[in-house]
Amino acid sequence: MRQLRILKRVAVETVIGVKRSGWSNWLVISILAIALTIFGGVLQVTMAMKNVVSAWGSQLEISAYLKDGVNATDMARLCSQIPDVQVVEIVPKEIAWAEMQSNFKVAAINNPLPNTLHVKLSTVDAVEKTAGRLKALDGVEHIRYPLKVARNLNRFRQFLEIGGAIVTAALTAATLTVIGNTVHLVIQGRQREIEILSLMGVSPWYIKGPLILQGAAYGCAAALMASGFLLGLHLYIDPYVHEQLVSFLPILPQNMDTGAVPTFFVILLLGMAVGAGGGAWTSGRYIKI
Amino acid sequence: MIRLQNVWKEYGGRPALANINLHIGLGEFAFLVGPSGAGKSTLMRLLYREETPDRGSVMIGGVNLTKLSPRQVPLLRRRLGIVFQDYKLLPKQTVHDNVAYILRALGVDESDVKRRVQSALCMVNLEHKADAFPDELSGGEQQRVGIARAVVNGPPVLLADEPTGNLDPSTSLEIVQLLERISQRGTTVLISTHDHFIVNELRRRVINLKDGQIVSDVTSGLYEVETA
Repeated sequence: MRQLRILKRVAVETVIGVKRSGWSNWLVISILAIALTIFGGVLQVTMAMKNVVSAWGSQLEISAYLKDGVNATDMARLCSQIPDVQVVEIVPKEIAWAEMQSNFKVAAINNPLPNTLHVKLSTVDAVEKTAGRLKALDGVEHIRYPLKVARNLNRFRQFLEIGGAIVTAALTAATLTVIGNTVHLVIQGRQREIEILSLMGVSPWYIKGPLILQGAAYGCAAALMASGFLLGLHLYIDPYVHEQLVSFLPILPQNMDTGAVPTFFVILLLGMAVGAGGGAWTSGRYIKI
Repeated sequence: MIRLQNVWKEYGGRPALANINLHIGLGEFAFLVGPSGAGKSTLMRLLYREETPDRGSVMIGGVNLTKLSPRQVPLLRRRLGIVFQDYKLLPKQTVHDNVAYILRALGVDESDVKRRVQSALCMVNLEHKADAFPDELSGGEQQRVGIARAVVNGPPVLLADEPTGNLDPSTSLEIVQLLERISQRGTTVLISTHDHFIVNELRRRVINLKDGQIVSDVTSGLYEVETA
């Protein structure tokens, strides 16, 4: 009960601190909201691009040509046990030969084609590795797959991941600085009060707690603003994106899920964590009790 | 209650306190006197653990302050009442809230806070000013709020560092008499001052510091100011 009363007082002190900060609250929340909007935007674009890349990757197919006399069904079962293999489609040599004969003018010779397996994977990452495993199988004569495309897709995905991490780190640092400076101003404004509280025997965490919560409150408010802005942006540009891209690249709109809900939670958590972290770091640095 | 043994404190190689040995018993009332720079404030700061001695030990209620960890310092200060020359009141809080602050920070029930604050304000004769802000009060009233805040948690020791430094002689006497009444309830009171008028009016124990050393310690003493 006593602890609850103390927590209530810390919350009350936080509200008093926010009220006292006046217009500077809006300044810091606005700056934070801009940083979080950029971060959320980058996160959504990265997620959408990753989805598109994954969708492209799942279209990649490895063709495995089987040796004569090898049972295609047995081989398909064996292939499906390889990790990351999603679908194995058997193309019997008779069907392939019949298709070839219907599409091209072919001499009347015996069917020279092998039984073929078309292997689709769950991730583009696994293309090269799986191709190697397939090639090593006893009944496989030869394999073929678009190596260059797979490598480029992987590179692009890695670029997105690294770029996203760098942007996130930069924005987190900027946000920490903004929060830190604001809390520092609050501490300077309350220097005398903090000295008095310390001499009265008030616990350090009771003095620092409201500053940490104030930072978290800034992060929360800024995250709500940023999410609102991103939602508005989606409502405005999503119809345009879908309409324009469907004729150009049909695969894009189907895979343009930007993960709005996860983004909101990531922004909220990041905003609050960075806000609280900035408050804790600054109060730890400038309040000597 | 308060015991200092072989205490030394230096600033920049110059001793502010040199081999101080002192004992003040439970419920005792004492003045710490001396001219500016004699070491009074340094000694007081050692007692509320704003400073630590270079050598020797400082004990309050059997607790050796030199061995306290930073986390234990707030616990010590809650057992002390401290009164300052500049009152150190929170300017944006009412008299009631200033006195109530420490109780609320300790999680005391609000009805108990109200009762204890009223009692403390009644003791300093300021219950009618509970809703006033510090800048609406005279210097003497502000100091009485400071005293109410210092005693609201029922500390066994009350330290007053130049409590009358900013007050006129008659108000100073009122403040010191108030502190004397608090002492009569069993609280150990130590007042640092260079105001010979109040010291000589009360004729209580006088510990005289000069150049960081105790030059006299008299039970019913006077404070004779040296004139150039």
